[in-house]
Amino acid sequence: MIDPSWIAGLGVILFGIGLLGAFSRSNGIIVLMCIEVMLNAANLNFVAGAAHYGDVNGWVFTAIAIAIAAAEVAIGLAIFLSLYSTQETISLDEASTLKN
Amino acid sequence: MSETKNEYKLLLPLVPILAIIPYLALVQGWESIDAAIFIVAAPFVAFPTILILGQVYNKNKTWKNTWKEGGILGLGALGVSLSAAIWILFDYLNGTAHFADHSVSHWLEWISFDVLQSDYTMTETRILGMGVWIDSLTLMLMFVATFLCFLICWFAIGYMTTDPINEDSNHRFFAEFVLFSLGMFGMVLADNFLWLFVFWEIMGLCSYLLIGFYYWKDSAAKAAKKAFLTTRVGDVFLMVGLFILYDIYGSLEFSVVFDDPSTGVGGALVDSGQMFWALTMLFIGAVGKSAQFPLHVWLPDAMEGPTPVSALIHAATMVNAGLYLVARMMPFVDVHHHGIAGLEDFGIMVAYIGGITAFMAASIAFVQNDIKKVLAYSTMSQLAYIFTGLGSALYFLNTGDYHAGYFVLGASLFHLFNHAMAKGMLFMASGSVIHEVHHAHNLLSLSHGDGDHHDFDPQDMRNMGGLASKMPVTATAMMFGSMSIIGIPLIGGFWSKEGIIAETWAAYFHGESAMLVPAILILATAGMTGFYMSRMWFMTFAGKPKNEVVDYVYENTPWIKEPLLILTLITAIGGFALALYGVIDFLSNESTHLAMHGDHGVVDSIITQLEHAFLPEDSQIRMVGWVTIFLALFVGPIMAARIHGGSLKDGETATPIVGWLVNLSGKFGTQDVSSLAESDLAEALQNRLYFDDLYEGIIARTVIPFADLCAWFDRNVIDGIIKQIESNSVLGSVQIRRITTGSARDYILMATVGALSIVALLLGVSN
Repeated sequence: MIDPSWIAGLGVILFGIGLLGAFSRSNGIIVLMCIEVMLNAANLNFVAGAAHYGDVNGWVFTAIAIAIAAAEVAIGLAIFLSLYSTQETISLDEASTLKN
Repeated sequence: MSETKNEYKLLLPLVPILAIIPYLALVQGWESIDAAIFIVAAPFVAFPTILILGQVYNKNKTWKNTWKEGGILGLGALGVSLSAAIWILFDYLNGTAHFADHSVSHWLEWISFDVLQSDYTMTETRILGMGVWIDSLTLMLMFVATFLCFLICWFAIGYMTTDPINEDSNHRFFAEFVLFSLGMFGMVLADNFLWLFVFWEIMGLCSYLLIGFYYWKDSAAKAAKKAFLTTRVGDVFLMVGLFILYDIYGSLEFSVVFDDPSTGVGGALVDSGQMFWALTMLFIGAVGKSAQFPLHVWLPDAMEGPTPVSALIHAATMVNAGLYLVARMMPFVDVHHHGIAGLEDFGIMVAYIGGITAFMAASIAFVQNDIKKVLAYSTMSQLAYIFTGLGSALYFLNTGDYHAGYFVLGASLFHLFNHAMAKGMLFMASGSVIHEVHHAHNLLSLSHGDGDHHDFDPQDMRNMGGLASKMPVTATAMMFGSMSIIGIPLIGGFWSKEGIIAETWAAYFHGESAMLVPAILILATAGMTGFYMSRMWFMTFAGKPKNEVVDYVYENTPWIKEPLLILTLITAIGGFALALYGVIDFLSNESTHLAMHGDHGVVDSIITQLEHAFLPEDSQIRMVGWVTIFLALFVGPIMAARIHGGSLKDGETATPIVGWLVNLSGKFGTQDVSSLAESDLAEALQNRLYFDDLYEGIIARTVIPFADLCAWFDRNVIDGIIKQIESNSVLGSVQIRRITTGSARDYILMATVGALSIVALLLGVSN
């Protein structure tokens, strides 16, 4: 069996990739995908922990997190759709009307 | 109106409702006292029912004609209250139930709590419950309130539903009417001061709503506000009084407070100075509610309400509340039964307020031309008699002369009964006059084709005169009512008023020189009452018609006559009959049931009673009695007859005694008083002795500047601080806005940094 610390390391790497992507990319869809990657990094840790400690809670949390992620993506995509229909862009750099 | 006869069919749906109490009594075998809850519960149910149905079925034909816009429902509810009250009354009068334990029926514990003391220990639990307290005072007022509310509601069905200006809003009237009745019933039955106060306030609210029933009229809206605010002044003092009582006794339950008024909570002796202030505060509340000097200004304006409301406020409910409260105070001063000595001054103060009000109100009533205003001032004056009597009772009980004390207490409460019956009838009779004159005027202006009836005041007695033959029932009723108020020998109020005046003088003769002033004032008022009541009656019913409208007056509105007839009977013979049965001893709790004096039959009893009234043993008291009778029977009425009297016209007929009286009034000659009417005194009386101006002046100089000051403080200090905070935060936001980039990526970065800082913080804390 793989040592859980390796899996935790993989989770950290995945999370870092996701975070970096969310910071650096301007395409909204890509940012959403990066957020998914971060969520899955956390899920990976849950699953690993569940397998290691033989505790079912980890899997339950993962299932819930996946469901929430799906809902979040649905909302995110809806926001970008309406953003596109009003602004004709999904670039986060151009969607900056909140600036004074 | 051909449908007059058919109207009574409308009462048929009430039969099952009215059968509730007989059913409980005869079939279920309840104790009468358990039915006491129905007295309050019936109007409590009727109030929302009428209001909601009235909103839903407004303008519906059945609702309007068959249910009289809720009037029939209200009558049913008050009928249940009345039947329950009569049942309880009979059980006590024939001895089935006893006063021994004051029959407290405790329904529930409303609030219970522990008290934290200054040394941080808890005392035993204190309970504020709700229940029923019954003694002769409760019984009498319960009967007066339920009986008169029922009759006035009956009258109101005729009066309100034929009044064209109330188009489709009478359900509001009837709903508020039953709520008002509920307030009075509850207040009378309550077994502690807290509930008494709650119901007291319900009455205050309803007086506001009902006086302002014609809210579109500016004068009515103002009168309602005035009544509410003036009584509120008294209510604040009443609350303070209750706080002091609670402080002394640790409870507001009658059973605890009256058990031994001389010892307070924890067995401490009650200080008479503290008690004096408690009673004075309660008394100020009573003064406000019963419209006594100096809080009397609201009562005449309360005439802006519909006439049944005037009858309700002046006879059945509100003004009696204050008297009830003062009559409740007797155990505090009764030194023979654990009372607190040293409170004579309180009794004298009550008597002074009564004497001053009696005289002042009677003199103002001299010049009033509005028929209802005369009655309003008469109410004030008669209530003042009762207050004077109660003041004498408080004085006597506190000085230990409990025979005199109980007698005058009984006489005062008997006067309350007589006055309520007579005044209830007088107001309904005046309502009948106003109603018919108004209708006649509408008829007249229709036939003349001019629709202008705004200048015409149907309440102004200068538009009446000679109505005796047009309205026989009303004229007879009003005659007996006025006689009762005046105190014509053998009729109604005579039996009680005589006792009050005699005992107030007795207090003076027994060495309390301070009682001379109220004694003289109420003696003079007896003659003045004779004048203004006779003046009102002669101006309305005798003499020549002063307006062509009078020829068109007929007495034919349904529902109006029956209450008048019933009350005429009670006023005419009820006083004598009850006096024969020793009602004065009953009301002062000296005897527990009504019974004739001695065992020598009716004739003997009558002779004893007459002897007691006309030939008392004490020669000084006999003198006072004869002066009173002379003033009330001869001086006042004859002066009024000289000014306003006049015989019937040829060919006109009236009921026998009324016709005789009217013709008699024409025989005293005439006297022109127009020069008197223009004097300064008349002017001052017309302006109600300038009390309203005085109060307005005081308010304009004190309350309004203070209110302005508060408004300034609110605008500049409180609002100023808030506005400063607001403008500062706006400025701050503008500054912070500079650092926002509007880029989603920056926000994500900030969120991440924030989350990491929280994690770092948590780690720091856990380590």
